[in-house]
Amino acid sequence: MTTPFLSIDHITKIFHPSQEIEVIGLQDIILCFDEGEFVVISGPSGSGKTTLLNIIGGLDHATSGTVTLVDQVITGLPESQLSALRRDRIGFVFQAYNLVPVLTGRENIEYIMKLQGKSQQECDVRTEAISDKLGIRDYLEKLPNQMSGGQQQRVAVARAVAAKPQLILADEPTANLDSASAENLMGMMQQLNEDEGVTILFSSHDPLVINKARHSVILRDGRVFQDQ
Amino acid sequence: MFKLICKISWASLKRRKTRSLMVILMISLSLWGLLFMEGIYDGMTEQMITNAIRSDCGDLTIYAKDYRLERKITQLIPDHRALKRRLDRDPRVRSTNTRILQDGLVATAHYSRNCLIIGISPKSEKKHGQLDNYLIAGHFDFGRRNNGAIIGAKLARKLKIGVGKKIILSAQDTQNEVSAISLKVRGLLRTNNMLFDEMAVLIDQNKAAQMLSTGKGISQISILLHDEQALEPLQKELQARQPRLAIFRWDEIYPALLQGRVMMKGFNMVTNLIVFCVAGLGIFGVMLVSIMERLREFGILLAVGTSFRQICWMVIGESLVLGSIGFMSGAVLGGTTLFYFHRQGLDLSLFSEGLETFGVDSITYALIRPEYFLYSLLAVILATLISVILPLRMLKKANPVEAIHTL
Repeated sequence: MTTPFLSIDHITKIFHPSQEIEVIGLQDIILCFDEGEFVVISGPSGSGKTTLLNIIGGLDHATSGTVTLVDQVITGLPESQLSALRRDRIGFVFQAYNLVPVLTGRENIEYIMKLQGKSQQECDVRTEAISDKLGIRDYLEKLPNQMSGGQQQRVAVARAVAAKPQLILADEPTANLDSASAENLMGMMQQLNEDEGVTILFSSHDPLVINKARHSVILRDGRVFQDQ
Repeated sequence: MFKLICKISWASLKRRKTRSLMVILMISLSLWGLLFMEGIYDGMTEQMITNAIRSDCGDLTIYAKDYRLERKITQLIPDHRALKRRLDRDPRVRSTNTRILQDGLVATAHYSRNCLIIGISPKSEKKHGQLDNYLIAGHFDFGRRNNGAIIGAKLARKLKIGVGKKIILSAQDTQNEVSAISLKVRGLLRTNNMLFDEMAVLIDQNKAAQMLSTGKGISQISILLHDEQALEPLQKELQARQPRLAIFRWDEIYPALLQGRVMMKGFNMVTNLIVFCVAGLGIFGVMLVSIMERLREFGILLAVGTSFRQICWMVIGESLVLGSIGFMSGAVLGGTTLFYFHRQGLDLSLFSEGLETFGVDSITYALIRPEYFLYSLLAVILATLISVILPLRMLKKANPVEAIHTL
């Protein structure tokens, strides 16, 4: 039996556990994903999609259970190691793009590579390559507020991919995009998944995204409703 | 990486231009005020000390043993010429000067006052303490027949006399006889050494020796040094070598001036503390608001793998930039002002009456000392670092990752 790439083992998340009214965000989630998968976690609002992605990305802590990425148990790691994990192994694409507003597109893409200690030459080569692939060369020198939503999201994808992570977590990346831009973005991410072999986990309730998935998980009320 | 972090910090400061400028202005102005006050107050104190040293005691003063207790004219320094020659050869000594001192009475036709008769050599005084620079009227000499006297300005005012007027000087001589001479006022001196200006009647040293029957003896040797650091070692050395003499430092003769200097140091420390608080509070306010406004930005940076330590450096960097710009502009402003008043002097003649009471010159020349800048730099840096502790703690507690909302 081979070790799964990403294993989510009995993850439970309770909000405000010490207070009278406890809110259960996730309940006993068990999931496994293989390397190179293109996964969509869908479900209605409040079903726990974002909470699950936050826990996988080390941005939030589970109340119980473990998340293991390849051979490393993520849950319970100290903040400094979680930072390193996010920097080196996980890329993020946010619904609201979340580019650093004072940095240009190029600087946003290079930021994580610089955090990793890559030289300027390495950063330049990687940025050029990824920009060509994602078609963002024209707005590399622009600030986020000079770009459209679709352009910002492409730069955000480039930022997530540039540092060569093992896993990309994308939380409703098409939610703020028009359908043409969303279609374009999904095509692009599919291409990246195939070319770079990077595992991508989406959370979304956009049918466009759900239809593209090769592995689909549906959450309902914090539980796994369907995993196929 | 460093460049990117600097860029983010700089952009944040630029985004909050008005607020950043306000803090810089606050630091600059308080530093300017601090440097100005430090320089002027130190200048005042040092001028008072210099006046006392030049007009009276020198850096070191030699008297016969117990002279300061009894102040008798018979307590003279024996063999002073050999001692003076030896001192003049010492590389630490800038100049030496001898005086005959005796308490006496100065009288005009209408008034009389206690006075201190000081037998001097004008030539030697000019070279030694440049006493002639304090002359406000008349000449710094005793006339062709040495029948003149130079008296303190306050004493002249009290006697209601001026240059050219006659005075009668009387005092007890070494034989316990009362001796008196008639002199003409040749000049008036204002040193702002209160004691000197109220009491001094300067007469020719030979004339004083003759009047007081001191022979070849003198009462005081005043010594000026090249470096204040040599003061105590030389005092100890001389005292060990001359047990029959009493050697005093200027601060032993004028302890109030030393107290003034100590007080000024304390005052400067308090003003440094004020600048520290002003700078600290200013930066604290700006950094707190800046951090709270940028929670989302910090959240993004943390989410993509920036460590909290790197965020801390970013915030510290921003506040250091604010502090350094504030310090530099304040230091340039304050330094230029001090340099101007160091050269031109600050004319306080409007308050000269009051200032004279305290022995302060009406024109004060500011001092410029490197430690003013060094201590205020330390105060600003310290304020900068301390002021970001609380905002950073709040940032850590606020969990900015939550501020991203989605993932």
